[in-house]
Amino acid sequence: MDDSKGGSSNAVHISSEQVQRFCEFLYRRTGMSFAESKRYFIDRRLEDRIAATGSSSFQEYFSLLRTDADQEIEHLINSFTVNETYFYREEHQLRCMTESLLDAMVSQKEPGATLRIWSIPCSTGEEPYSIALWLMENWPQVDNYNIEIVGSDIDTRALKAAAEGVYGDRALMRLSRDIIGRYFGPVTGGNRQIDEGLRNSIAFTRANLIDSEDMMQYRDFDLIFCRNVLIYFDDASRRLAAENLYDCLRPGGYICLGHSESMSRISPLFRVSRFPAAIVYQRPEADHG
Amino acid sequence: MDNPDADSRWTAARALAGQADAVPALAVALARESMPRVREAIMTALIRIGNPASIEVLLPYLRSQDAGVRAAAIEALQALPEAIAPFMPPLLSDGDSDVRLLATELARNMEASEATHLLCGLIEHEHHPNVCAAAIDVLTEVGTPEALPSLERCAARFASTSFLPFAISVAISRISGEES
Repeated sequence: MDDSKGGSSNAVHISSEQVQRFCEFLYRRTGMSFAESKRYFIDRRLEDRIAATGSSSFQEYFSLLRTDADQEIEHLINSFTVNETYFYREEHQLRCMTESLLDAMVSQKEPGATLRIWSIPCSTGEEPYSIALWLMENWPQVDNYNIEIVGSDIDTRALKAAAEGVYGDRALMRLSRDIIGRYFGPVTGGNRQIDEGLRNSIAFTRANLIDSEDMMQYRDFDLIFCRNVLIYFDDASRRLAAENLYDCLRPGGYICLGHSESMSRISPLFRVSRFPAAIVYQRPEADHG
Repeated sequence: MDNPDADSRWTAARALAGQADAVPALAVALARESMPRVREAIMTALIRIGNPASIEVLLPYLRSQDAGVRAAAIEALQALPEAIAPFMPPLLSDGDSDVRLLATELARNMEASEATHLLCGLIEHEHHPNVCAAAIDVLTEVGTPEALPSLERCAARFASTSFLPFAISVAISRISGEES
């Protein structure tokens, strides 16, 4: 079935049946779903991965993918997702936080109480800083509560960069000039550094989502952003990560996942909560059944 | 593990994850646990152990009358595709067609040639159309070209049924990569 196409390229031909087979596997394994109209997008990435792994056919590549040889699942997901992170990414979840989630949380708290928000994995800091910026710009009650934001990642180099808070234009592309002007200052190389007050307001720590002992130090979060990481894990690791996240949330707390992720496909521990701006997951207040 | 407080049982189950000598205690706890959250943690602890003894604890739950428990057992066993392999032949020839049907799903995460071999062995002689349909559904995703002769023979055996020949034609086209 395999032959060459595309002029001088040695790309393997992929039939529509094979694409369908691949898409069903990808959906079951990661939750990522692509319409038929994305066929060209899928073909190009599949061809790239087949070439990169030295596979001689779709069949050979698919076998390699299913056994996750050489962490091919991770490479594949990277090729299908936007790896770069930037400020205000998946803004609808930030909007959901200030329009719905926080008000629900503080209804059970006294003014001045602590609200704990966790960004894991936080990579180079764009997400926890986005949370802080969004709160200051969009939540009128921001000064009425003691808000603690923690950013954690397994990669200590990323954490060091996060603490430095220096970003290029691409990372800032979703921010208005006004916000950039008020919260960032110029540094060498045409980059900008987020202001010292914000840098000091976030605790950056190392954490491994699938290490239960490591995760024991993280407790009583009201809200967790855990986006686009569970799709990389195998079934056993996803279960463990879900249980760890459950323990890190206080009862009634919420967790936001990436747009292609669904906690109900991973674990029955959480309840789906639908808000106007986003679907999030909640640790139930109490056990049932 | 026998504390009346669910949080305590949950914490205990999580603490036993990966400890092979805890399998007997986890087995006892799983048998009497009624709280889905704690049951989930016990099953995760058994997955983290992942040895034949932990598989043997999980297998009887494939026969549970409670659909939620059966589904939880399937998910747990699917997370152990290598460890489950030696248990597959007896499961796929079990006297209970419901167990055979559920066992086909366990092949989904197994290595493709091994899953193909096991499921083809099943569909060559399986009489129950629903069990064959379940096996064919898994083969549609994971089957290798070695499955094609068995699929064709299965289609011939079930030619009079309304849905199996169609399901098999889809499986054959997916596996061969040719349009049906």
